[in-house]
Amino acid sequence: MMNLKAVFLTLTLFVLASAVQAKEIKTIETDEADIEVRVFPAEGHVLLLGFPCDEGKSIAEEKTAASLAEDGIEVWMPDMLSGFMLPKVRSSLAGIATDTLISVIDEAVKTGKQVYLIASGPDTALILRAASQWEASEKEPLSGMILMFPRLFKETPVPGKIPEYVNSVGKTRLPIMLLEGGRTPNRWGINTLSQELQKSGSKVIAKVIPKVRGYFFKRQDANRSEDVVTSQMAGLIKVSLFYLEEEKRND
Amino acid sequence: MIKRLLILAVLFSVSGPFFSFAAQAANLKPVEGKVAAPSLVLKDLQGKSHDLKEYKGQVVLVQFWATYCGPCRQEMPSMNKMMKKMGDIPFKILAVDMGESEAEVKQFVSEVKPEFTILMDEDGKSIGDWRVFAAPSNFIIGPEGNIRYTLFGGVEWDSEELVEKLKAVAKK
Repeated sequence: MMNLKAVFLTLTLFVLASAVQAKEIKTIETDEADIEVRVFPAEGHVLLLGFPCDEGKSIAEEKTAASLAEDGIEVWMPDMLSGFMLPKVRSSLAGIATDTLISVIDEAVKTGKQVYLIASGPDTALILRAASQWEASEKEPLSGMILMFPRLFKETPVPGKIPEYVNSVGKTRLPIMLLEGGRTPNRWGINTLSQELQKSGSKVIAKVIPKVRGYFFKRQDANRSEDVVTSQMAGLIKVSLFYLEEEKRND
Repeated sequence: MIKRLLILAVLFSVSGPFFSFAAQAANLKPVEGKVAAPSLVLKDLQGKSHDLKEYKGQVVLVQFWATYCGPCRQEMPSMNKMMKKMGDIPFKILAVDMGESEAEVKQFVSEVKPEFTILMDEDGKSIGDWRVFAAPSNFIIGPEGNIRYTLFGGVEWDSEELVEKLKAVAKK
């Protein structure tokens, strides 16, 4: 007879296997690189396009994507770093060609769904850059973007001075949902960052998630609050999409 | 020989973070011109109100910190030692916690044991007034009330170099 531990293990493996099965791999060929995209297909009208840049190691993001897909939100996770054979360091972002990002967005738009962009940490610079070029090309408009704990300082901020942000900040008109952890000094900069993002005409909604640090879903030393929020990340994203859809409707 | 190299490698990897921490001792950024310190009126953990203006005539280190900030926790013992090294120089540390609860800060204080004044700013007003975007953010205020230096990041505050610079602020 199987003991409880074995039953739990079997169930866990079953759940993990189901999540993996829901994923499809799609390759987008561009002039600069071939980009592998993890696709979590869904029937709904919304497509969430994330640029995780993690060489396929994003466990929490994959679980979230599977959960969103179950609720009708299609999720695409292109692995830009592997496509360009770049290491996971901040400086690699500069090595990712904007034209390739545009090609990936192009493919997503072809599905006929409403496309939203999402990224976290320094990767948020990437989607801001892509969105501004997309708008400049006057293609079908994107629907909005979610910036999770964006890290967009050009340099370490000097105490007493307004920080400078990377060049892609304040260049897009897309509505933006900005989510920041409550247990990071960056929460005190969300008003300043929001103002910078608004300069190009974006409507920015900023929310602080209490009791979590930045990068909360990537942490090895996650506390209880961070574990809970990570497990509810799909809900957090759905709420963000709701706010962004409302913005679009009121526009 | 291989064993020695291994020991050296282990020592180097263990001491790496310390060296990078201490190397920031020279990161004091002088402030050009006369820049008056913004207002700072906050209560300490005992409920006593502190106004920066009351400390005119002293060198004051105003630090913005948080319990979740690793470098803040790491450098606080060196701040205790620095106070002793300042000797007869009129000197005060006002360490402003960035928007956390009293319970969180009291827990931290019982573990880390800072011997200087901890101020509470639960709504974060002073953080905005002082334009603080990272932690720890430090401001060295001269006896006349102007910001003389700023410094970001964790440092060994009791290093001779830093202590001498702070003593010099009192003399100018």
